This record gives sequence, C-alpha cells and structure tokens, in this order.
Amino acid sequence: MASEKDVLQGLYDAVLAYDADAAVKAAETAIEIGIDPVVAIEKGLALGLREIGELFESGELWLPHLVLGAEALEAAIKVLESHMPIADLESTRTGTVVIGTVEGDIHDLGLRIVASMLGANGFKVYDLGCDTTSHAFIEKAKEVDADIIAVSSLMTTTMPFMKDLIEALEAAGLRDRFKVLIGGGPVSENWSEVIGADAYGRDAAEAVRKAVEIMS
Amino acid sequence: MAAKEFDMSIFRATSRLVKEYDIKYDPATPVPSDDSLVKDVWNAGLELFTEMGSYCLNSSRRIMFDESEIRAGLREIRGEAVIGEGSERRTLKLRGIDDNAPPSIICGGVIESNMPEGELFVKLYQSIAQEPLIDGFYVGPPLQTSEGRTVRSGTPLETHQGHSMVSWVREATRRAGRPGLHFISACSAAIANVAACDPNTGLRRSDGIVATIMPEMKTDYENLNKIVQAHDYGCVKHVYNGGMIGGWGGGPEGALVVAIANAIMATMVYKIGIGTSYHALGYLRASTPNYSAFVTRPCIWGSSLGGQALSRNTKIINTVVAMTNSGPGTKMQFQEISSAIAAALPCGREGLSQGTRRFKVRPLLGSGLENRFWGEIGHAMAGVKRDFANHIAEEMLQKYEHRITRDSDGGPPGHTFDEIYDLKTLQPRKKFLAVYEEAKSDLRDLGLDI
Repeated sequence: MASEKDVLQGLYDAVLAYDADAAVKAAETAIEIGIDPVVAIEKGLALGLREIGELFESGELWLPHLVLGAEALEAAIKVLESHMPIADLESTRTGTVVIGTVEGDIHDLGLRIVASMLGANGFKVYDLGCDTTSHAFIEKAKEVDADIIAVSSLMTTTMPFMKDLIEALEAAGLRDRFKVLIGGGPVSENWSEVIGADAYGRDAAEAVRKAVEIMS
Repeated sequence: MAAKEFDMSIFRATSRLVKEYDIKYDPATPVPSDDSLVKDVWNAGLELFTEMGSYCLNSSRRIMFDESEIRAGLREIRGEAVIGEGSERRTLKLRGIDDNAPPSIICGGVIESNMPEGELFVKLYQSIAQEPLIDGFYVGPPLQTSEGRTVRSGTPLETHQGHSMVSWVREATRRAGRPGLHFISACSAAIANVAACDPNTGLRRSDGIVATIMPEMKTDYENLNKIVQAHDYGCVKHVYNGGMIGGWGGGPEGALVVAIANAIMATMVYKIGIGTSYHALGYLRASTPNYSAFVTRPCIWGSSLGGQALSRNTKIINTVVAMTNSGPGTKMQFQEISSAIAAALPCGREGLSQGTRRFKVRPLLGSGLENRFWGEIGHAMAGVKRDFANHIAEEMLQKYEHRITRDSDGGPPGHTFDEIYDLKTLQPRKKFLAVYEEAKSDLRDLGLDI
C-alpha cells in the first residue's frame, strides 16, 4: 500500500505535470488509504499549484501552465469533495472571489492571469469573463456568498464602470458585504482611492497579495 | 468552440511547432542574422494559422482558410501604401532586410498616457507634427473626457469624443503648417471612428483607422466593424498586434510563432491586401510579471525575427510598436528607442511607432522630442546591417534592462509635456535637449552616423 507521503507527493507531482488523469488517480488512492481530503488538498494539490504560481511569477512558466495546473487540481478536488463535508472543503479555501472585466471591456488576458494566480493561492474563483455588468457581478457575488469582487479594465473608457459597480453596491446596501479589488492597464492606486475601491493590484502578484490581506 | 478551448489549443499547437522547428530564444543575440531561423519562424507561423484559423469572440466560431486561400490572400498585398495629402503625401514601400533605403517615420502618439482634452492636447500633437522627419503619427489612447464629462465605453459620449479628438489632432497638423499630414486613429469604438471620418476637419481618406488582433489570433465585431469602415470609407487600414510573451503562445519562441500567425490572420480576416494599408505586426510584447512592455531583451529578439520573417515572405508594410518602460525626457527612453529601432529598420520594418507604457503614472507623458529622436535614429539606421544592429541593441540593452524591475515599475516615469516643452515657443527646454544630445553622442561612440 502506498504511504501517505507518497500519495501527497503524487498529488503534488500530478499538478506540476498538468496531468489531470494522474491527479484523479492519486486522489482516488488518497481516499482508499484514508488520507483526510483536507490534507490531500492542502499538503498535496495546493502546494503543486502554488509552485506553478511561483514559477509563473519568476517567468519560468506561462499562463497556459497555470490554467493546466488548475485543471488538474480541480479534477482531483472533484474526487475528494464527495468524501468530505462542505465545511471542510471550504476550510481549504483562502476565500471566494467573483472576477471579470467590466462592462464594455473584452481584454481577458490579464483577467485570466489574475484568476489563475488567485486559484493557485487557494481562492475559489468564479470567473465571469469579459464585458460583465455591475448587476452580473453583484448577483453572482450574492449567489456564491463571495468575499471579494475583483474587476479589471484595460481601457480608459471602461474604467468608469468600476465606479458604477461601487455605486451599485452602495445603492443595494451591499457595500460592506463585498470587498472590491481593482486592476488593469490604465488603473492606478489613485483611481482606486477616487472611486473608493478596497484594494488595487498593479499586477497579478500584487492582486493576490491584496486579496490575501483582505481575507486576513 | 469556447474561447478558453481555443486558447489552450493555441498553446498546444504552438508548443508542438516550436519543438518541431527547434526554435530557441537566444538572449545573447537580440538581433539575429540567422536566415534559416527566420525561415523556420515563418513556416511555423504559417502552419499554426493554417491549423488553427482565427476565433471570433462574438460568434464563438473559428474562421478557417485552406492553404490555397492563404496563398491567394498573401498575393493580394502590394507592398506599397500612399498616405497623407498634398505636400505631406508619402509612399511607404516594403523594406527588405539590411535595406539601404531611407525609412518613413510613422511616430506616435502618447500611446498610454491619460490625456486632458483641450489646448494642451492640441499643442502636444502640434509638437509632434512640427517635426520635419515625421511622415505621420498614431493618435491614442482616446481621451477620458468629452466636454468635461467622463467617457464610458459604448455610450453616445464616446462617439462624440471620437469626432472631437480627431478634429483637434487635425487642428494640430494645421497649426504645424502640415494640414495634410497623415495620422491613424485609435478610437476604441468603431462607431467613434465612423464619427471621426470627415474629409475636411477629421479623419481623411489619406489617414487611417487602427484595428487590433486580440491575443491570441482572436477578433470581435468591434474590430471587424473598424475594418469594414476603413474599406467603405476608403481610408488607410492599420492592423496592430504581435505575440504576447507569457500569453497563450507561452514563452518568447511561442509568442514569436503566434506573432507570425497573427500577421497572416490580418491578411486573411482583415483583408489588408485590399485598399491601402500598413501595419504593426510580427513584434513581441510581454504580459508577465518578470517582463515588461515591448523593449525587453526577449521582445527585441522576437520583434527582430518577426520583422525579418514578414519582410522575406510577405509584402506587408510593417511598422514597429515599441512602448518604452521609461518616460519622456529620460536617457533611458532614448536607449530603449535605440534598441527598438535596431531590431526594426535592418530587419525589414518600414516606419516606426512608439509611446510610453507608463500611462498610469500621470497624464501628458509624451512630447515631440522623443518623436524627433525616432526620426533621427531611424534615418541614421538606414543601411545598417543586422550584425551591427545587434551590437547597438546589445549595448543599449546593457544600459537599461537592469532598471526594468517591478520595484521601479519599469523605470523612471519621465516628464510631462509641459515640463519638457516651453509652451510659448513650443520647443524643448535646454535641459531636455542636453539629455537628447547625450543619447545621440552615445550612439556615435558606438559607430552610428547620427
């Protein structure tokens, strides 16, 4: 029988190899030998994805590697989650983020990088994609009980929709319920202050740091 | 097919082609002279586009072409583009590798600075238009306000802003005594470009509309509408995009292959062979935390090879986009421009365009002075061969690349237009002219006749 150490290493390796099949197999073995699913996630899968995130940040890996690593992790989690209470699964999460580009903005590359990096750092991420209205952000955040709404914009003419989002949250009486994290090419710390956002990330790494700070 | 699926298919196909063609990034040679590598880069890019086609975000469908259609599309490109009017009329021609012919200089704009509307905006573009070596320029980004009100994408105010911004730029060319000077408009919305088209005070048929290819190999109706408007109005088309290091192509090698595929996509989907057009294709830019903007070492390497591959295998008239990390009025910006030009002119690119990436720092980060530098060094670089260009690029990179760090946000932010220029005389102040002369002197020390 495989040892717990070997299986955790297998989960870690599978994510680093972007191998969803191997990750699923290792997750099944983890269940078979009675490894706590929370341990399997935290000491195996998550460490692998975090490693990919660090390699991405240092320029040794690229966005597709983040996506592939996250897919392997998610495939294994699907196996593990049926063997653990939802509360335990949630305890493995750093937080829940609803993310997208604002209305009128279709530049998704930065969004995908930030979404992947948040995932690599333990956040449950709901990616609404491009051209997302304030209404859609708020509805999704309510539905999944998000901690953070993260919005990006690459155009000066779509930045004002960030302000609209914050005003919509205020109008709905939800401003205190969700933290708003903003970023994107033309967005700045100053803009964040002007519109009353909770945090600004100038790049993916800083966005993750700010999200972690929000949750701490 | 979902966009995410297309993105990952691009990654898989590109990774395979990079391996099959054994394309390897060589940081020691920022401007390679390896013709067999150039051939491999072209063939890999052609194979990628033939296999993948492009993707429309609105219809969620791939747009595919067979080999014979691609060959026919490439044959439609004529290798010549006439821009400007009257005494400002110019003919851009396909440049060869190591070409001796003097280039045309299509400069830019203040690509990523937040610009205020009104008199300062006009003066800034006047400072560019008055430079005698400039044959045209890029206008962008769109203004953030219109008549004092914040512009939101997709609103009527954005349409109105397109018209007013372009008419102010036309006024700038008129004040510079060059009313027929060519420029290209980068209004975000297609409808704003339509509103800007006006043969008298706005965008003339000798001017151009910018459309982009989205990373990677993707388009949408907004960009296709811009292309249709350029066709129907009969103005110049300018298609812009390269490969993104760190994006769906992967590292520098994959981004280069994607950059070539993007250029073929411009030929087939944006029909750049029909009507008058010139472009900024086949260059590399970076999105990842460890790289920045357009003039880092891997970007220079890829842009150089992309230019060579397109010049050798197509008749696409190609400019280079090279947003600098450092801001205007700094020596580092002149150094970045120098390495960008070294990777462009001797590599078969025609005109040049530029701007400062540092748009989030403060408004008005741009001036005529750096455009003057582009013009001077562009002409000095005509006839320079790739091996000497490699030497210049290497020397320049060594001077600035260590300064492109996350902590410095890429380098010194630079100075605003009203700091660099005396607004009464509309001439650069002595302090900044001295920096300019120092940068030229450094290039002379390297053996460049400037």
